[in-house]
Amino acid sequence: MHADLIGFGAIVLIAGLVARAGRRVGLPSIPFYMLTGIVLGPATPGPVLIEHPEDLALLAAIGLVLLLFNLGVEFPVQQVFGSGKRLFIAAGCSIGLNVGAGLAFGFSLGWGTSEAFVIAGALGISSSAIATKLLIELRRLANAETPIILGIIVIEDLFLAFYLALLSPILAGASSPAEIAMHIGMSFGYLLLLVVVAKWGARAVGWLIGSHEDELLVIGMVGLVVLVAGLSAEVGVSDAIGALMIGLVVARTAVRERVERLVLPLRDVFAAIFFVAFGLSIDVGAFGSVAGPVAIAVLITIVANIGSGLITGSLFGFNQRGASNVGLTVLGRGEFSLILATLALAAGLNPRIGPFVALYVLILAVLSPMLAAQSRYLARVIPDQFLRSRWRYVREETMSTACSHTDRIHITETDAESCFQCVEAGDGWEHLRLCLTCGAVGCCDDSANKHATAHFEETGHPLIRSLEPGEDWRYCYLDGALVREPIGAHPTG
Amino acid sequence: MGQGVHVQELPGIGKRYDIDLGHGGDRVSVVVRRDGTRDLYVFTARSDEPTAVIELSEEQSRKVGAVLSGTFFA
Repeated sequence: MHADLIGFGAIVLIAGLVARAGRRVGLPSIPFYMLTGIVLGPATPGPVLIEHPEDLALLAAIGLVLLLFNLGVEFPVQQVFGSGKRLFIAAGCSIGLNVGAGLAFGFSLGWGTSEAFVIAGALGISSSAIATKLLIELRRLANAETPIILGIIVIEDLFLAFYLALLSPILAGASSPAEIAMHIGMSFGYLLLLVVVAKWGARAVGWLIGSHEDELLVIGMVGLVVLVAGLSAEVGVSDAIGALMIGLVVARTAVRERVERLVLPLRDVFAAIFFVAFGLSIDVGAFGSVAGPVAIAVLITIVANIGSGLITGSLFGFNQRGASNVGLTVLGRGEFSLILATLALAAGLNPRIGPFVALYVLILAVLSPMLAAQSRYLARVIPDQFLRSRWRYVREETMSTACSHTDRIHITETDAESCFQCVEAGDGWEHLRLCLTCGAVGCCDDSANKHATAHFEETGHPLIRSLEPGEDWRYCYLDGALVREPIGAHPTG
Repeated sequence: MGQGVHVQELPGIGKRYDIDLGHGGDRVSVVVRRDGTRDLYVFTARSDEPTAVIELSEEQSRKVGAVLSGTFFA
């Protein structure tokens, strides 16, 4: 027994230290937990801390359950459903492109139909944890595209629940069409049941686990969640869905905020064990045989996300910088890909999925923070016609919704077709700008006289907009940034 | 919210409050995360990148807030 404790303690401590070293240089922690498991596992030559990965099976399963439970509890239902149709279209395009490309790739690998569906999910659903941390670390919380990126990854999380339900016949090993239909029907029926519980039974659930003492609340919570997850698996729906849905139920109870706070440290510990345990089962020698497919998969993911970034950009009227930030921030893959791989391996699908997903997650973990930080270079090469507006001068500028001068907008339209001061002086101009405070029209900074900027320096009127046909940007001189209307303020905009 | 303060939801993170400081385009954005952590973004005029970003725990932000609001004295 004590030998087990030594091995377990050592590997968790090492995983923590390795992840901490990775965080120093801005890399996400999930892949490092996994890497620790791979390097110190029995399948890889060198020191072995845990001889039998299956010893960790229960702890790892609790990690998976708590990960999804936490996702359900924290799911910002109102924020997402209040943010309008455009966000859902953007998220739908992003999911469609990513999962669709993943599915095509999965089939072309020829590992089997079930395997193709698992790979589509593993490639298609980005890691919320990695994307959120990136936005905080890259100091982009005030950018215009940030609420959209967050909205998209939250909707992806919701999509995960449906995808898991769709996958359930595959993971349960159904073979005939009737069996498949029955499994899918059962999964969705189960989802529906839990939705009903969420709507009308939340009070009862709150009563069941809701103690005034944190100690008793957290014990009731863990018991209930693991039990529901287990029962879900028992009736042929995956434990992952059960955990996610019970999270949504608990989110509607009065104890939500306390649960949110209490589950976090538990989730962090058990999820780390889950990632380590996944790594333990990976044979480093198998990486060679999947290296080619992984390289293609990484390329596909990058292309698909840049594509969905462009779609989102044109839907929301972002410039090149905004669009490339959208595409490159959501590249990270982590918890969901590993969850899907774990479920697939447990269902006895092609064992190559393990090393394939492991290597894929590792490579993107290193690539995605680098690419996201360098998004301005991508912005430089995106042609204007891919986005709705021709952002000729402003394609690399950061866009912001944090401009606090929009109360000084009084005029947004004008009939003027010339720069009055240039006409008087007999000069020409390139483009026209409209002062949104007083309606004065002046020429742009590429023109010889720069009358628009001169007008700002004279009057202090902060905001201008372009009068060029097809351009719809606003610029704030005081903030030095492009300005968007906050989402939700003008849903039709 | 009062004049010059703009609130925006950040799904999954929390809420952002943009506060106009009036003179010459200096502004402060405060992100209140759901776990209580606050990110303080300070922007000065003529730059779209923040000049300073600081992450405060709930405890720290209470301390800073008390001093800023003048309720703390020693």
